[in-house]
Amino acid sequence: MKFLENKFIIVILRLVIGGLFIYASWGKLMNPEDFGRAIRGYDILPLGSISFLSVLLPFVEFISGLFLILGIFKRGSSFIIIAMLLAFLIGLTQAYARGLSIDCGCFSLSASSENTQGGYYLLVRIIQDVLMMVAAIVIYNFERKNLNNIISN
Amino acid sequence: MNKPKTITQVAIILGFALIIALIVNSVNPKGISILDDGERYDKDVKEKSLKDVTPNVNDTTNNNKPKTLDKPANISKEGFVKPQFIALDLAKSFFGQGALFIDARLKVQYDSGHVKGSINLPYQEFAAKSKEEKLEILKKYNKEGTIVCYCSGGECEVSIDLAYEIAKIGFNYVNIYRGGYKEWENGGNPVEK
Repeated sequence: MKFLENKFIIVILRLVIGGLFIYASWGKLMNPEDFGRAIRGYDILPLGSISFLSVLLPFVEFISGLFLILGIFKRGSSFIIIAMLLAFLIGLTQAYARGLSIDCGCFSLSASSENTQGGYYLLVRIIQDVLMMVAAIVIYNFERKNLNNIISN
Repeated sequence: MNKPKTITQVAIILGFALIIALIVNSVNPKGISILDDGERYDKDVKEKSLKDVTPNVNDTTNNNKPKTLDKPANISKEGFVKPQFIALDLAKSFFGQGALFIDARLKVQYDSGHVKGSINLPYQEFAAKSKEEKLEILKKYNKEGTIVCYCSGGECEVSIDLAYEIAKIGFNYVNIYRGGYKEWENGGNPVEK
């Protein structure tokens, strides 16, 4: 797929993925309590790790998204984004498989734990996650190859 | 110029994010303790039921106070009495003895049906108030009286959060009825709209 090595396509992908991560982090940056509740809903991580993650994760999303857009540490930021998307994918898939009804905590947070969804909704989130992951992998590969070719990036 | 390896970039980004996250969390009015063990949300903690409580048969000696759970065993690190999870049978018993039921859900949910005689303190609104304001809201209730907090049931956590808010300001017999409104209503127990 030659077009995936086109520099302009990569720039667009970077802007889209970086933008989505900044957008996703926005509502969570100042709301660790609500985000923590969403993470707990997945029922997969130890309870003692959740408050730390709910404080840290939104900033990792925000900064790696920002760096990806600005072109700072493109390999590092796309690598982190791939890793996060993989973690989200595991969380979503196990929630779907177990038939859980959760607050995704993906792009927005509900103000209470009363607003949960499962089934088809989670399937849509899983597909979104995979698409974003493919884009992030394309970016990472491009930046790594470029480095090897000693083309300035 | 040599570009840093991917792993180095990852470490720098994560370190940077961690520092900013900790700084923002410390100035954020909605910031939380990152060392919180989250133990109160543990779904595997068994609910207390009628058979776990020593029934006080000689009720006249304690002014018909509802049966309560043992206090000294449940003191938190911060010094307040930890709320307890209770099952439906105990919730019913408390209800029958006049315990205060508090609905932690939003007003619209409360208005569409709640435990008979319960009051509504939506968690998010209550938590945002100062300690003095919280005490003012609850001033007509006895700190030694039995309180039962509930929300919808199932996965909802606001009953737990609200119960801890109330316990922290000095109420000693706060309970969390995890079955919530759903189980209460389905069981044909007294409700009102």
